[in-house]
Amino acid sequence: MSSKGSCSLHSSIGKKQVMGVSGLLLCGFLLTHMLGNFTMFIGADAFNKYSHTLTSNPLIYLAEAGLAALFLCHIFMAIKLILENKAARPVSYHMRETSGRGSTFASSTMPYTGSIALIFLIIHILGLKFGTQYTIIINGVEMRDIYKTTIEYFRDSLHVLGYIVAVVSLGIHVSHGFWSAFQSLGFNHPKYIGKIQLLSKLFGIVVAVGFSSFPIFCYLQGGK
Amino acid sequence: MTTKKLDGKVPSGPIQDRWKTHKFNMKIVNAANKRKYSVIVVGTGLAGASAAASLAELGYNVTTFCIQDSPRRAHSIAAQGGINAAKNYPNDGDSVYRLFYDTVKGGDYRARESNVYRLAEVSNSIIDQCVAQGVPFAREYGGTLSNRSFGGAQVSRTFYARGQTGQQLLLGAYSAMMKEVHNGKIKSFTRREIVELVMVEGKARGVIVRNVVTGEFEKYVADAVILATGGYGNVYYLSTNAKASNASAAFRAYKKGAYFANPCFTQIHPTCIPVSGDHQSKLTLMSESLRNDGRVWVPKMKGDKRAPTAIPEEERDYYLERIYPSFGNLVPRDVASRNAKIVCDEGRGVSATGMAVYLDFAAAIKRDGADKIKAKYGNLFDMYQRITDQDPYKTPMMIYPAIHYTMGGLWVDYNLMSNIPGLFVLGEANFSDHGANRLGASALMQGLADGYFVIPYTIGHYFATEKFEKIDTNHAEFERAISNSKALYKKLLSINGTKTVDDYHRALGHIMWEQVGMGRNEAGLKKAISDIQALRTDFWKNLKVSGGAEEVNTELEKAGRVADFLELGELMALDALERRESCGGHFREESQTEENEAKRDDENFCHVAAWEYSGVDIKPLRHTEELNFENVKLTQRSYK
Amino acid sequence: MGGNNSDTMSLNLKVWRQKNNKDKGSMIDYKLDGVSPDMSFLEMMDTLNNKLIKEQGDSIAFDHDCREGICGMCSMMINGQAHGPEAETTTCQLHMRKFKDGDTIVVEPWRAKAFPVLKDLMVDRGAFDNIMAAGGFVNVNTGNPQDANSILIGQENAELAMDAAACIGCGACVASCKNASAMLFVSAKISQLALLPQGEVESLARTQAMVAKMDELGFGNCTNEAECEAQCPKGIKIENIARMNREWFKGALTSRK
Repeated sequence: MSSKGSCSLHSSIGKKQVMGVSGLLLCGFLLTHMLGNFTMFIGADAFNKYSHTLTSNPLIYLAEAGLAALFLCHIFMAIKLILENKAARPVSYHMRETSGRGSTFASSTMPYTGSIALIFLIIHILGLKFGTQYTIIINGVEMRDIYKTTIEYFRDSLHVLGYIVAVVSLGIHVSHGFWSAFQSLGFNHPKYIGKIQLLSKLFGIVVAVGFSSFPIFCYLQGGK
Repeated sequence: MTTKKLDGKVPSGPIQDRWKTHKFNMKIVNAANKRKYSVIVVGTGLAGASAAASLAELGYNVTTFCIQDSPRRAHSIAAQGGINAAKNYPNDGDSVYRLFYDTVKGGDYRARESNVYRLAEVSNSIIDQCVAQGVPFAREYGGTLSNRSFGGAQVSRTFYARGQTGQQLLLGAYSAMMKEVHNGKIKSFTRREIVELVMVEGKARGVIVRNVVTGEFEKYVADAVILATGGYGNVYYLSTNAKASNASAAFRAYKKGAYFANPCFTQIHPTCIPVSGDHQSKLTLMSESLRNDGRVWVPKMKGDKRAPTAIPEEERDYYLERIYPSFGNLVPRDVASRNAKIVCDEGRGVSATGMAVYLDFAAAIKRDGADKIKAKYGNLFDMYQRITDQDPYKTPMMIYPAIHYTMGGLWVDYNLMSNIPGLFVLGEANFSDHGANRLGASALMQGLADGYFVIPYTIGHYFATEKFEKIDTNHAEFERAISNSKALYKKLLSINGTKTVDDYHRALGHIMWEQVGMGRNEAGLKKAISDIQALRTDFWKNLKVSGGAEEVNTELEKAGRVADFLELGELMALDALERRESCGGHFREESQTEENEAKRDDENFCHVAAWEYSGVDIKPLRHTEELNFENVKLTQRSYK
Repeated sequence: MGGNNSDTMSLNLKVWRQKNNKDKGSMIDYKLDGVSPDMSFLEMMDTLNNKLIKEQGDSIAFDHDCREGICGMCSMMINGQAHGPEAETTTCQLHMRKFKDGDTIVVEPWRAKAFPVLKDLMVDRGAFDNIMAAGGFVNVNTGNPQDANSILIGQENAELAMDAAACIGCGACVASCKNASAMLFVSAKISQLALLPQGEVESLARTQAMVAKMDELGFGNCTNEAECEAQCPKGIKIENIARMNREWFKGALTSRK
């Protein structure tokens, strides 16, 4: 048997494993991002200080570059896989039904929920990270008043709605993606696969509900 | 022309040493010279795939053909029960000699002792070989191989892989074949049917095949041709064979001069799911292990239409237990089948068609509990329910006999070579090892024995002792064969009558089942011969084959096969007519004991009948090969 | 007794017809009366074919052979599902009693780039043989291997290997996968051999070779939907795909080729 697996990234399994690893790391990012944002509920100062601590650290550029690389990698692989998968069935079925025993809504909509997340990501960065710049001085330190930007941003109910739609779809995306990553990396055993799948669903709910809480909170604040 | 006494070229000496001595005496092709020889293997079931792989490993250049879209689909895949070997792992008294003895006796003394001994001798190597290939046989907790008793054998010598032993053995042989495809020593052609054997100067030197996708005829040349094309049970239309299982390659070799031996020896399996209507296209076998716990019965009253559970105990006839008190429901396949036919012919059969008997598990479920029965037969019960929509836990199963295996086939000598030099025949396609009745779990053993452990030796001897003229496919014989082939298919397409191939095949099946089935008599066989002749004439006048010649045309494929079945059916009836004795699966009603059991006539029929083709509508010649039993004493079977 | 074969059904069939590999093909409507609920799906197709031959003279080509659910030859997409709606049932074992009088049934071939249509419902699955020839075997020649009981195999692994080995190579996994991926088929063979000591020796190289061949032949990628498992007539589990992924990763890390 001669092996042609010289460039592992060209292999269907290699690509899936890259998707899995990058996806899992992005899940980690989602979780920390969400936990950090919870400071918003403590108050404006806490949120701004948290944001300042993050952005003032010189390592942030490295972290952001790493994060961007992860996103690009995940997106690039996804596009490649989608195109290859399309090519693998050039003539589509006249009728295709799922059995109800295998694929789920989440699993069959990954490209769509992923695309929504991507569009949202860009809008999100433009609207908040590169949104209106206010400054505030807390304990004698001048820092960006990201809290104010956020509250302002979500005064628009359309923004709120858009954000919720996006994070719900992200929640759906990770509810399949999370356990799927384990499967791609070879972790599937009757002893624990059920638990991973449950965790995956829970994680999807946490992402959807957790992130939705921010615009709702801001909207309610801003309304006052 | 006169009839001949055939020589099986069986070596002499003590039976235990014959194969060893013969292996030593055979000439060997030098390792470096093997690549100069080429072999065509037709059929990729157990025998064909194992032969192709083994010969390629030795260095021969092998070309394989199969009718399906992949070599892995050959009908060996459907064998359920298991494979016998004389390993004696359970320490219950088995030995090579006992397996040999049981097989000769089970075959009702119509097989060659030397062949059977060799089969028993190599059986152990087969298991070793298959395990080495990764065949997942059933195992005990400690990691050793499991064995079970099967088909009424007194010892547990059957190895199995759930109810899919044939599948696993075939996939093992197929993977070995694919290994040699990878190594470049096998060229595998799929979706090809053999149209004609090509002979040059009396030797088999190639084949004409039809590519069933394009309809093109292709020529292949080689130094030897191996036919491993399985049996001819589909003559009966309804059988447990696959739809594409056919006799054409073997039968066309017969028409080129190869002798067809014992064509009337067919095996009818007692436990099949009954026919449900005219639409029926094939029959499904249920493992005969069911008879270990199921009780066979029919109502005592004719035409009793009550539901089985409504028929009280005293109005049921457990006929096998009544007639055979000591063996009961476990009588051999031929006996169980024949008795089912008798009670149905009396009008006591059940089901809408009246062509079924009950196999009742109520007593076993009461005795052992439904759970235990489920553990033993759960998958069979599920299969039965899927097909019939009835729950065998609640209502008795219905079963009926069906054609399952053909012991007859092309005549071969001890080297598995037919009377045509260079034409070897392996597995079910030859006649050699099962006599007049095959024992359960022996077919898989024979297919693999022939392919893995016999042909690699004997074909070398043929190559080493013959001279081969270099020829290619431009040789005049190939041109002649290809134009014959084209003419045949053109003729089939040109009839343009009104009846479909299936119509004829069903009609032939009906004649065969009625007259050349479980019970045969002179008048019936004569009627069968004339009916088949009439049907054949009608076939060539009124057949309608749709579609064209140069495309996928399954009707045309079927037409070619049924044309051969229409001749082979007659040959089977003729053989049955001339064999005026009962033996194994061949029950001549004129030859029975006072207790209505099969009565052999060793005085006059202790021989193989090998038929030589003599031309269109001319009676073929019946040659014989005497069978000598030096080790196993001839006795009459009794199951009372 | 004998089922309810007195009431027959009338069916509307929409069947994919395509003359050959070059033809574009289309769905054609047929009406068939007198379908017995006891018929298998293929017997229903036989009945339709015999009618077509007599009336218009061109039968529908479809693959089939053993008709007892083990050879893997039959292959139809029935109402959008591989081998039809019944779980763990091949087309030949699907019976018409699962349908109702007046039903419309859509019948299509397997669709995948790697399985080109030859005619009507018949596709070329030679790609599976090619994958097998890339490494789906144990490199052992016929001869005198050690006694079958000299290498013990624990019952659990033997059973798991048998679960994987039950694959019939029909291609339903490819057909039902929205990406036309062959991972379930390939992983079944890789798993079977990786679980047995006889095959484990070459497992990493085998996995690399078979996966590379699968990719080369144009099958899609796995998105872990498990629709293959759900529509597999033999219930092969995607646990095998995970095992293949593991074996592949180990091989990718350690291969020296």
